[in-house]
Amino acid sequence: MPSDGRKKRKKTSKKKSELDSALDQVTDESVAASMREFQDLLAQAKGDTTELIRQNAEELERRLVLLKNGEIDKEDFDFFVENQKRDLRVFVDSQPAQSQERAEKLTLHILEIAVTKVVPVLIAMI
Amino acid sequence: MNPNTLKNFIVRNVFLCAAAIVITSCGTATFTKTGSDATIESLRNFELAFIDEFAVPGKKFNAAAFNAKVNEGNAKFQQAIADEKFTARRPVLIDLKAQFDADATHLRSKASRGKVTPALAAEMKKDVNKIYDHALGR
Repeated sequence: MPSDGRKKRKKTSKKKSELDSALDQVTDESVAASMREFQDLLAQAKGDTTELIRQNAEELERRLVLLKNGEIDKEDFDFFVENQKRDLRVFVDSQPAQSQERAEKLTLHILEIAVTKVVPVLIAMI
Repeated sequence: MNPNTLKNFIVRNVFLCAAAIVITSCGTATFTKTGSDATIESLRNFELAFIDEFAVPGKKFNAAAFNAKVNEGNAKFQQAIADEKFTARRPVLIDLKAQFDADATHLRSKASRGKVTPALAAEMKKDVNKIYDHALGR
């Protein structure tokens, strides 16, 4: 037991990310469904075995949080997404035919959902 | 001279010449690739310094200095593309030039309106390092 008499509580549940906490606040069911789809895809991408897919997902999440916190604006966010797309197109095209669809879904498709569905929600929260 | 000895002599010399050519060409390829890597590293350092100089929150935008640096960058990239001996690297240099153009356009737009933030500068540098690492196959 710690010397100051306080019991240390072991954390068993995984802490929610800042982005998940923000997106979970959406109450409109049709919008919430899109947010859940995005969160599921992002979680898949972050756990993927391919480094580039993981890296892309982590960059996207970090930049969405920067946007939500007002540290970058939408122009900056769109600029970074274009950079990511430019970098990813070569990667997707270089994948074997049977892996291309999955690679595209976990990279370019996530970026598209972020721009069209997630960003408007986050901007509305600012 | 015995015809067999002469034949062996010729075969041996042809083999030695071929081996020498292979060894020399490998050395040249390695040397060329090393030189090309150094050029890419030099372009990376130029672009990072460019961001450090102009992506500064609150700094007054100096259009003349900005244009001069962009022109210097354009010249450096064009020279690098023209000098590239390792032909497979040319499209890579063209991609890096496209990134420099995109960075310069965005930075001009933001800096001229005083809309640069620390996060923008940091993320731009992360993207530059990433694209250059990929260009170098890392």
